[in-house]
Amino acid sequence: MRYALIAILALLALLIIAPPLLGTGWQYALINALIAALFAAAFNLLVGQGGMLSFGHAAYFGVGAFTVIHLMQSVEYGDFPFPTVLLPLAGAAVSLLCGVLAGFFATMRSGVYFALVTLALAELLHSLAPHWDEMFGGEAGLSSMRMPSLGLTFGSTLEVYYLTLAWVVICIGLLYAYTRTPFGRLTLALRDNEQRIRFMGFNAHGTKILVFGISAMFSGVAGSLMAISNETANYSVFSTQVSALVVLHTFVGGSTIFFGPIVGACVLSLFTFVVSGVTHSWMLYQGIIFVLVMLFAPKGIGGVIQAHIEQRHSLPWKRLAAPYALATLAGLMVACATVFVVQSLEIVLSREYAAAVARTGEYAPYTVFGLEWRVFHPLTWLFPLLLLVPGLYMLRRAFARIQTLWDNDESDDDGDIATTPELMEGGR
Amino acid sequence: MLLDVDQLHAYYGKSHILHGVRFTMPEPRIVALLGRNGAGRSTTLKAMMGLVPPSQGKVALNDEDLAGRPAHLIARRGLGYVPEERQVFPNLTVEENLMMGIQTGAEGAPRWQAEDMYQYFPRLRERRNQKAGHMSGGEQQMLTICRSLLGNPLVLLVDEPTEGLAPMIVQVVMDVIRDIHQRGVGVLLVEQKMTMALRVASHVLVMGHGQIVFTGSTEDMQSRDDIRRDWLEVA
Amino acid sequence: MEFLIVSTLNGVIYGMLLFMVSAGLTLIFGMMGVLNFAHASFYMLGAYFAYTLSGLFNFWVGLIVAPLLVAIIGMLIERYMLRRVHAHGHAHELLLTFGLVFIFEELIKLFYGDFPVSYQRPDYLNFAIFNLFGTDYPFYRVFIGLVALLMFIVLFVLLTRTRVGMVVRAAERLPDTARALGHNVPMVFLGVFGAGAGLAGLSGAVAGAFFPTNPNMALELGVIVFVVVVVGGLGSLAGSLIASLLIGVFSSFAVGLDWSLASLFGLIGLGDWANSLGGLVTMPLSSISATVPFLLMLIVLLVRPAGLMGSKN
Repeated sequence: MRYALIAILALLALLIIAPPLLGTGWQYALINALIAALFAAAFNLLVGQGGMLSFGHAAYFGVGAFTVIHLMQSVEYGDFPFPTVLLPLAGAAVSLLCGVLAGFFATMRSGVYFALVTLALAELLHSLAPHWDEMFGGEAGLSSMRMPSLGLTFGSTLEVYYLTLAWVVICIGLLYAYTRTPFGRLTLALRDNEQRIRFMGFNAHGTKILVFGISAMFSGVAGSLMAISNETANYSVFSTQVSALVVLHTFVGGSTIFFGPIVGACVLSLFTFVVSGVTHSWMLYQGIIFVLVMLFAPKGIGGVIQAHIEQRHSLPWKRLAAPYALATLAGLMVACATVFVVQSLEIVLSREYAAAVARTGEYAPYTVFGLEWRVFHPLTWLFPLLLLVPGLYMLRRAFARIQTLWDNDESDDDGDIATTPELMEGGR
Repeated sequence: MLLDVDQLHAYYGKSHILHGVRFTMPEPRIVALLGRNGAGRSTTLKAMMGLVPPSQGKVALNDEDLAGRPAHLIARRGLGYVPEERQVFPNLTVEENLMMGIQTGAEGAPRWQAEDMYQYFPRLRERRNQKAGHMSGGEQQMLTICRSLLGNPLVLLVDEPTEGLAPMIVQVVMDVIRDIHQRGVGVLLVEQKMTMALRVASHVLVMGHGQIVFTGSTEDMQSRDDIRRDWLEVA
Repeated sequence: MEFLIVSTLNGVIYGMLLFMVSAGLTLIFGMMGVLNFAHASFYMLGAYFAYTLSGLFNFWVGLIVAPLLVAIIGMLIERYMLRRVHAHGHAHELLLTFGLVFIFEELIKLFYGDFPVSYQRPDYLNFAIFNLFGTDYPFYRVFIGLVALLMFIVLFVLLTRTRVGMVVRAAERLPDTARALGHNVPMVFLGVFGAGAGLAGLSGAVAGAFFPTNPNMALELGVIVFVVVVVGGLGSLAGSLIASLLIGVFSSFAVGLDWSLASLFGLIGLGDWANSLGGLVTMPLSSISATVPFLLMLIVLLVRPAGLMGSKN
């Protein structure tokens, strides 16, 4: 436990000290990663702890964003002075309200039906917003400018970064503290055994509404921070893409532990930042990563790390070293081959390339990994195959070995099937 | 050896329900499987049928071990199953229900035809084209038994067939079970009504805490008040 | 009058199209409890495959082979992905299909580009079937409707008159009992999944030649299809049909109507007051035509989750 605390403090220190040394590009990326992390942590309160899978959380994120933009406009035009640093409070308040309202209806159902209600609510907003000019600025959206507060102008990305960092750290801290409270424990009980709660005399529906509301509130803070950072918001903030992204982040990171979604959000967010500058296909890679995690690591990255930490005393580390190294190498080979194929296709199938072929009549060589490749040269086709086939084979062998070593280790306890805790059973 | 079950273990999630069940049925017999609720009788049948995967053990039908195979293959090898609560397909007609049960069946098993079934129970013929969900409990029980028979099983696993049925129908069900046995099908009967079961069965298995705690003939059972007291009575 | 007839016609045909896509989804959910987010992606794949095939060979080859390809992809997904994740619970299955939506969309963008492709119907199908009030009504729209109708008939016959259909109907209710009777239910599920995917692919192949074929197809249609299966009742084919027609006709009408709540108030003389309120009250139906289906879905979910015809749970 102490190691965890030291690690977190070290990370915080890094987050405070490093950014002035990085360019605005990285600062902006970090802002987005922090916002995504808060959103994911808020989302997981509902999903991982409360056991209610929502597919429309963009609604509350968006509500927070628009609230802040409206408020920022008021401040900007001098109607209503409100300190910039406290803007997310407003977003939180309105999102809480909306969350409670929405949650009242949504939690009338459970399982698939619950998820569909949340989806319907978000889509309702998403389809309405572009036509409602006064509220949402129609298709273009609304914009504003950050006004000075507390002696800072908030003109630079760095200042926005520190504001975001402060809010995100505080909110995540609050969310963590929440899990430690009796009500936090009750939330877990909601997921595991709702009937029990009722028998104990608690109002299950009311509890669920409260959890939904709190989750929406913190999502609203995340949305607020994004509005502050981008100084604009439009109806696309309610889209399925936004709802989908937070789901992706949460489950890649792992919804069963508190820090899972935060890890997932940071990793994927920064991954996107790095990769999107280099290729158009970053969403494809993201999708592939998500599907692979769902198939092979159902508890997410966080779950895998947690399993290792929990079993650290009983695992045969020496014997695991070799298969782990093999798996890593094989994984890199397969990844390399995949990236090569995707990037090659991206270049060769693009409009520009087709136009060039039409013009010159020949298939020019292209560059991937810093090397030149000819389209119809056998080496171009052989290269990925030589990496992929042995890579996959080695991966299978390594995983079989790793599985055996883990199973032997777990033969004492009853083993732990990673089951999504009762999220979809029932359905009413 | 017609049926040989050995060291059968099974779990529901993390609950260890069957702790090494073992018994045999050397030739076709009617064997009653008794025990209190929760002892694991239904689970034994389901594990044999492959509906609950056994974690270890052997289920050998005519010396062929079926344990661990998919349920539909086990059914095709000659093990039939009449589930608790009847489980007729409510959205299918009586005739379609019967058709669902038809398969080639194992070698050497007694053969049954749909016509036989209608002879047994003229009521079914009357209701041929009606949805099975609208029938009475007794009629549904008849249907389920017939449906399983049409698969030409070597051994029929029957789970609480008389539950919730009127005494007259119970009698009919028992007669049918006797009949089936006479035609050469082995029957493993899980039944709550002990006296009923002992009237048709020739042998008895008593289960407790996921294990077989008594094996013997029905005569042996009659004199064993201690078994009855310890494992069957609700006191 | 013209508006009435044309809108109804368009609406019914659009509804039949929606039914073609949602039939598979509702069948799959009824049988396996999986709400396949990627179902509309099968629609998109069908359109794109048909586009490529019709370019290489001809339109009819595209129409016939594309659905088969999509069915195969569907079966591969069920066999090697969904089944693996099944043990972890329904939510994981849902999430997996969620991820597949992105992968399919991005793969299409990779191969075909992030813009619509020109998938056209052959010229001999490109005529006017009749003339309504001075405008030509395209035969191809009717063609879409005919294909959907044919598909519905085939499905109905298969399910109610064949042995395979009987097994599917039985396994949908009591899969374990069907297994214990010797039926290979996992194989049946695989087949149903493939068939559902193929149907969606067929609708894409047929509709893509008329409506725009672009990488956004799946997302645009996907949400409406969800509304259809919820309103019709998850697991009910008949319900899907009714809901599809309902939403199809409504969407067709709504786009051309300028009614608003304010105009409703206008009927009782409070028009000016209502108009001064602005915002939601003055929004014309044509603008919020996309919103109403979601409202309907919400109402159904909250009031009667079984939908119009659903009976499960």
